[in-house]
Amino acid sequence: MPDIQELPLLKSAKREAMVALGIWLAATIYSLGYCFQYGYGRDPESLTYVLGFPDWVFWGLVMPWGACTVLASVFAFCFMKDEELPQSVQ
Amino acid sequence: MLAATDISNPGYSVLFALLLFIGASVWLGTLAQKAMEKKEFLKGFFLGNRGLGAWALALTATVQSGGTFMGFPALVYSHGWIVLLWIGSYMVVPLLSFAVVGKRLAQLSRMTDSFTVPDLLRERFADPRVGLISSIMIITFMSFTMFAQFKAGATIMKHAWPGSGVLALSEDYEPNAAEKAESKDGSASTSAKSASKPIDRKYYVGLVVFTVTVVGYTLIGGFLASVWTDLFQSVMMVIGVTILVCLAVPMAGGLEQATKTAIANTSPDIAFGPGYSTIGRDFLTPGLALSMFFIWIFGGFVSPASMVRVMAAESTEVMRKSICLLSCYNCLIYIPLVMTCIAARTMLPHLDKPDEVIPRMSMLVTEGLPFGPFISGLILAAPFGAIMASVSCFILVISSGLVQDIYVRFLHPAATEAQVRRATNVSMISVGLIAVIANLDPPQYLQALVVLSASGGGAAFTIPVLMACYWRRTTAAGMLAGMLVGFCFYFGLSVAGWIQNWASAAPEGSALAQSVIHFLGPDPKIGVPGLFRPYYILGIDPMVWSLFVSAIAGIGTSLVTKPPSEEHVSRFFDVAVAK
Repeated sequence: MPDIQELPLLKSAKREAMVALGIWLAATIYSLGYCFQYGYGRDPESLTYVLGFPDWVFWGLVMPWGACTVLASVFAFCFMKDEELPQSVQ
Repeated sequence: MLAATDISNPGYSVLFALLLFIGASVWLGTLAQKAMEKKEFLKGFFLGNRGLGAWALALTATVQSGGTFMGFPALVYSHGWIVLLWIGSYMVVPLLSFAVVGKRLAQLSRMTDSFTVPDLLRERFADPRVGLISSIMIITFMSFTMFAQFKAGATIMKHAWPGSGVLALSEDYEPNAAEKAESKDGSASTSAKSASKPIDRKYYVGLVVFTVTVVGYTLIGGFLASVWTDLFQSVMMVIGVTILVCLAVPMAGGLEQATKTAIANTSPDIAFGPGYSTIGRDFLTPGLALSMFFIWIFGGFVSPASMVRVMAAESTEVMRKSICLLSCYNCLIYIPLVMTCIAARTMLPHLDKPDEVIPRMSMLVTEGLPFGPFISGLILAAPFGAIMASVSCFILVISSGLVQDIYVRFLHPAATEAQVRRATNVSMISVGLIAVIANLDPPQYLQALVVLSASGGGAAFTIPVLMACYWRRTTAAGMLAGMLVGFCFYFGLSVAGWIQNWASAAPEGSALAQSVIHFLGPDPKIGVPGLFRPYYILGIDPMVWSLFVSAIAGIGTSLVTKPPSEEHVSRFFDVAVAK
């Protein structure tokens, strides 16, 4: 007698969706937190530059942007699972 | 001094570059037609036989409309570095676009053998109402978004005409300069009167040329033509942006110096939140910054245009590669664009129209280079290509909705292939005609409908699509509730904002306006100015609230209605494994 199981694609898709949403949440909290802390209401005299970017832009946006790009690539090539897509019926 | 008389002025090269773009698009359209021959018509025409590769999927599924590439630089120029925070969530957009619902949508669309989103939802819940309502919503939203693009396309064509408007004029151009110059020769009386008329005629010519081209190549090549031209313009765009940033930043004396000069030319606000503003509005308050991290993400991956492209992906491997490609692409587009526009505050410190920052910068930095006008022509043609690509995508989604979801499903289920093909042609040409008519004299409230449909779609579909993909207990009634409540809530907050705006602008003595302000509160002075600013509860964008309300309505309604039959749900969720 056949056993009923959840589709394998559904299982991996759920897991990947959770991880992706987790990365989004982490990026949001970090970027917004950093920029609110150092980008708003700051004394203009205290501004320093990193590679030409204002310091809060670099550490709050450019750096996490790069990190997310690397992370997305790791996600794509090492974590996300390939599944067979069903052939269209008919 | 007018440069318009000079034969080598950028006007000709821009026109030339536009014609090149149009020619390439038509050529791609005919190639696409060959590629889909001898296959089943509907699936081939509207879904490219589910054969999209990684590059095509990555660079076309979520890239925004041409307006983004013209409006975004203007925002950076006006408000400064803070705009990078405004767009900041693009760092994760590629990942979320494909990893949250991508695989599952591709699977469901194959299981249900559907090639439009409403068709998929209809089969998933075995309920024609879900299909019909979502279809009507998608067609309406996309139509309004698309109509605005036609206007933008026609306007670019008008400007590309040699000697007309800012693109063809040299740096010291000022409004009415043409008339002033002529009044010196004493010929003012005749030329000043007729000055407005030829410009308008150019707009109409531009509108017609634009429409015929886009409808033409979409009609010829269908989905693949749309995707390939989109891919082509995306590549042109990244080349243009790269050239621009490499020339502009050194000209401004490096990035640090550019920021310092920008501060000297404006105020320190340009380097900090909530952004530089000349009109006393806080551009990006923390609440709005938070909102943007929701809007870009959740407005993006469920937009019907991108869902259709995910459904067309060849395999899950293609999706994985797309995540990586699109992540790199976004890095190369957005950060350099911000750098370029900050540098623009050095070379062009006080532009009257910030919208012109990219056209002007591209002419300025390529001046004196070999082939300079041609390079700037290509840079300027890129947004035009983006507009063409997104219009062609919208036309496809709209006519696939009209043909598959309305004509085949409701009006004529037994249609033969020849009839379907004819219906497709008729619907695409009518969409083009309606767009031309709507843009002959666009009413001002059109802009409100555009904003409304762009975010309203996200508010309506995000939660229902997630529910349809992952939650067994979702019922058809829950889907309808999620979609309608999400949209209506968004609509309500938008209307409240417009009323608040009206009341703030009303004369002092108006008792009605006073009571409205008393009830809704005064204008919060945040966000972008404009008649159609929505109502912000607690300083958060209505889209975020609508997502929550939509989730409550969708989940709540599903739970109180009769669960869907286990047998039906099992078809989409389970697999039988031999023990």
